[in-house]
Amino acid sequence: MEKVRSHLMLCAGTGCVASGTAKVKTALEQELAKKGLAEEIKIVLTGCNGYCAEGPVMAVYPEEIFYQKVTPEEVPMLVEEHFLKGRPYQKLMFREPEKKAAIPGMKDIPFFKHQVLRVLRNKGLIDPEKIEEYIARDGYQAAAKALTEMTPEEIIKTVKDSGLRGRGGAGFSTGLKWEFASKVPSEIKFMLCNGDEGDPGAFMDRSVMEADPHSVIEGMVIGARAIGAHHGYIYVRAEYPLAVKRLRMAIDQATEAGLLGKNILGSGFDFELDIYLGAGAFVCGEETALMRSIEGKRGMPRPRPPFPAVKGLWDKPSVLNNVETLAQIAPIILNGSAWYRSLGTEKSAGTKVFALTGAVNNVGLVEVPMGIPLRTIIYDIGGGIKKGKKFKSVQLGGPSGGCIPEHLLDIPVTYEDIVATGAIVGSGGMVVMDDGTCMVGTAKFFLEFTADESCGKCTPCRVGTKILLDMLTDITEGKGKESDIATLEDLSRDIITTSLCGLGQTAPNPVLSTLRYFKHEYESHIHQKWCRAGVCRNLTTFWIDEKLCKACGACLRACPSKAVVGEKKVPHKIIQELCVHCRTCFDTCKFNSIRILPAGFDGDPNEFLAKTAVGAKEEK
Amino acid sequence: MSAEPKILVVDDELVVIRSAERVLKSEGYQIEGALGGREAILKMEQGAYDLVFTDLKMPEVDGITLIRWIKKSRPNIGIVIITGYPSQDTMKEALELGIIDYVPKPFTPSVLLDVTKRAVEWAEGRKPAEEKAAEEFPPAMAKELDRVIGEYRHRPGSLIPALQRAQEIVGFLPPVVQKRIAKGLNMPEAEVHSVVSFYSFFTMKPRGDHNIRVCLGTACYVKGIEGVLEKIKERLKIDIGETTEDKKFSIEGVRCLGACGLAPVMMIDQETYGAMTPSKALKIMGEYGGPASDQAPDEETAAVAEQEG
Repeated sequence: MEKVRSHLMLCAGTGCVASGTAKVKTALEQELAKKGLAEEIKIVLTGCNGYCAEGPVMAVYPEEIFYQKVTPEEVPMLVEEHFLKGRPYQKLMFREPEKKAAIPGMKDIPFFKHQVLRVLRNKGLIDPEKIEEYIARDGYQAAAKALTEMTPEEIIKTVKDSGLRGRGGAGFSTGLKWEFASKVPSEIKFMLCNGDEGDPGAFMDRSVMEADPHSVIEGMVIGARAIGAHHGYIYVRAEYPLAVKRLRMAIDQATEAGLLGKNILGSGFDFELDIYLGAGAFVCGEETALMRSIEGKRGMPRPRPPFPAVKGLWDKPSVLNNVETLAQIAPIILNGSAWYRSLGTEKSAGTKVFALTGAVNNVGLVEVPMGIPLRTIIYDIGGGIKKGKKFKSVQLGGPSGGCIPEHLLDIPVTYEDIVATGAIVGSGGMVVMDDGTCMVGTAKFFLEFTADESCGKCTPCRVGTKILLDMLTDITEGKGKESDIATLEDLSRDIITTSLCGLGQTAPNPVLSTLRYFKHEYESHIHQKWCRAGVCRNLTTFWIDEKLCKACGACLRACPSKAVVGEKKVPHKIIQELCVHCRTCFDTCKFNSIRILPAGFDGDPNEFLAKTAVGAKEEK
Repeated sequence: MSAEPKILVVDDELVVIRSAERVLKSEGYQIEGALGGREAILKMEQGAYDLVFTDLKMPEVDGITLIRWIKKSRPNIGIVIITGYPSQDTMKEALELGIIDYVPKPFTPSVLLDVTKRAVEWAEGRKPAEEKAAEEFPPAMAKELDRVIGEYRHRPGSLIPALQRAQEIVGFLPPVVQKRIAKGLNMPEAEVHSVVSFYSFFTMKPRGDHNIRVCLGTACYVKGIEGVLEKIKERLKIDIGETTEDKKFSIEGVRCLGACGLAPVMMIDQETYGAMTPSKALKIMGEYGGPASDQAPDEETAAVAEQEG
C-alpha cells in the first residue's frame, strides 16, 4: 500500500479543461516531484465539480479545502504553503462578493452549502475512468440487490413509491413507465437512455455522463431487470465527445467485471448495452423521434398511442429514461423509497439538478431538494446578480419553458408550481437574466431555435413558429403593429393545441410567458419604438445625462463610430447622426450616465425619463 | 511527370525496399530506397520524385512525420503508405493528411503494381483536394469508405453511424459519398439524402481546416455571444455555415455546447474556449492563423479594451 497523505481532486470536466486543467496538472506534478512530495500527495482527475465558472477548481482531501482559478503560475506557492508549511493558500480560496474573508472549507462555501447531492453523489470524488472507484463508493450494490434479492415487481414498487419523476422534462412517474412496459409480454424489449441533451442552457446530463458514467449504467441495469429487457442503448449527442469516451470505457469495464453482458452477477439475467451517437436534432429528445433515429431514419415523432411501452424501438416495448433519472435509481434501490421521499414535496419528491447560468455570480451545476424557493437558488447558491445590475427574470425549461419575473421568486421549485407560472422545470436549465436583457429579444431567440428545429411534420409547428418568429423580428426592428400582441397570443394557442409532439406543444411558451409578465416591453417596442434594455438597435436613442457624466473619456474611446464628442472635464455628448446604436458606450460607462430613450427621440429627456421611470407602471 | 515515374520507397526493412524494387523496376518505374524518414527527407532535398511509398512505423522519424514534411515542403509528391493492417486512427490521420492509397503488408507483386499504376494516374491528374473530393476520392479514401460501409451492411439501423464514419473519413458528405453509401447499404439514395439533410451534424459542404463552432445556447446568448459572432463573421468575411475562400476557416452555429458555466463559449476544432469577448475570439483565431485586422492594430485594441474594461 502506498501511503498517501492528501488527495488533490482536480476537476477535469469540460468547463475546467477549457480553463486549463491539463496545464495545472503538469505544473502540480512537477512541483510535487521537485519538493519530494510526489509519493504522499496524489493527484486525481475527477469529473465535473459543478462550479464551472471559477475553474480550474480543485479540492484537497481529507481537509476538504477548496481552491478555485488555479493557474500553473500559482502552483509553486500553493504547494509550498499548503503542503510544506501546512497552511492553506488563501489567495486561491473562494471569497463572497464584496466581502474580504477567504472561505477555505468546501462545506462552508454558499454555493455548496445549500446543495444535497444524490445524483451528483460522486462528483469531484472519483476518477470517472476507473470502475473500482465507483464500486468503492457503493457502486453496483443496488444492481446486485435488485438482481439477486428483488423481484421485478418489487423494484417497480420501490421506484413508484419513491415518487421519482422523469427528469428530462415531462415529469412522468418513472415507476409507472416501467410498470407499463413490464406488463407487455414480449421476448424482446429495450431499455434506453436519453443522453441527447438538447435544451440550450442545460448541461447536467453531460456532466453526469462525464463524471459518473457508471451511475447511469447501473440505473439502466436495474431498469432493464424491472421491465425484462436484455438490450439497451444510450443515445448521446455526438457533440459530447468526452461523455462518449467515458461511457464507452465504463461499458467495457462493467462488461469485464461481469456487471453487463451474460448472467450478470450470477443472477441469470442478461443485459447488453450499446452507445448510439445522435446527429444533432433537438426533436430527437422526444421519445418516439429518438427511437426513429436509432432505427437510422429521420427523427420525426409519431402519434401516441401506441406508447413506446407497448410499441417502441423496432416496434418492441421500450422504456426511455433521461440520464439524471437513471442516476437517481441506484440510491433509491439501496436506501428505499421512504428515504427518497424524505426530501422534496409530496408530488415532487427528491432532488433535482439545475444548471444555473447567466447573470449570477456563481455559475454552475447545483443539486437541491425540490420545493425550495427559486430565490434560494439564485441568491444564496448563485450569490445573486452580478454587480451593478438588477434581476429581471429567470428562464426555466429552455425553448419549452418560460421566463419567471421577480415577484414570483418565492414560489417553491416543484413541477406543479413552476407550470403554474407558465414555465416548466424541464431538464433544469436555469438562465438568470438581468436588466440588460430584452424580453422580446429573448422570446425571439427561443423562436429562432424552435423554428429551426421543428421537424416539419405538423404544419402548425413548422409554419406557425416561423410566423411567430417573423412577427417578433418585426417588433424588435421597429416594424411592430398594433394587432401583433393579440395575433401572437392567438397563434401561440393554435400551435399548442394542434401539434403532435412536445416540441410544437411547448414552442410558443417563451412567447406566452414573456407576454404574460413583460407585456409592457412588447408595448413599448410597438408603440413607443423603445427597447428599454437597449438591445434592439432600431429602437434606441443613446443619451448622456450631463449631470452624471464624469467626462472620463471611456465611452468616447470605446465608441466604434466616433459618435461621442467631448474632452476632459467637459461632459460628453453623442452625435445621434453618427451613432450606430451598438450599446458599447452604455456598457462601458461606470457611472450609469448613459440613458436609453426611444428611437428618434426628440424632446426633453429628463422629463420623459421621470414620467416613464421603472416602477411607475409595473405589471400587477 | 517524367516518362519513367520516379518512386522513393521508405521502410526500415531493407527486404521491403528490395522486393518493391524487383517488382516495379521491370515495369518501367525508377526506384530508390531510404531506410527511414530521415534518409528519405535528405534524399528528397537532393532530388525530385513523383511518388513516395512509406511505411508508418519506423524508428526516429516515423511515417506520419514524414508525410507531414512532404505535404509542407514537397506538396507535389504523391504519397502511398505501406503498412500492416492499419488502425482506424492512423488511417484517419493519414487520410486527413492527404495520402493517395495504401498497400497492405505483406503484398503480392500484382497488388503492388495495381496500386502503383493507380497512384501514378491519380498523381498525374492532380487537382485541388476539395474539387477532387467532390467528384471522386483518392483510392485510399474509397477503400476505407467501402470497408466502413461493409461493416454496417447487414446491421439494422446503421445508416446514421455509417454516415458519421463517412463524414469523419471524407470530411463532408457530398452527393457522390451519399450515392456510394446508398449503394453499399442497399437503400434508395433519397432515403440517405433525407437523413443527411435532417440532422445538423451532417454537412454537404466542405469545412475549413479549422472549424469554429459558436455556441448559440441561452446562457451564451444572455452573456453576449452575438457580439463575438459578429466580430468573427466580420473578420473572416463569411456567415454561419460558410467557409473562407482560402479554406482555412469555417463557422458553424451550434445549439448548446453544454459548457454554459463558461458562457459565452466557442470551440475551434476540438478545443473549447470559454468567457469569450470579441477581442479574445480574434486573438484565439490569430493563434490558428486567422487573418489580421483591416483597422490599425493599436486603434482596435484600444477600442476593445475599453469595451471590456
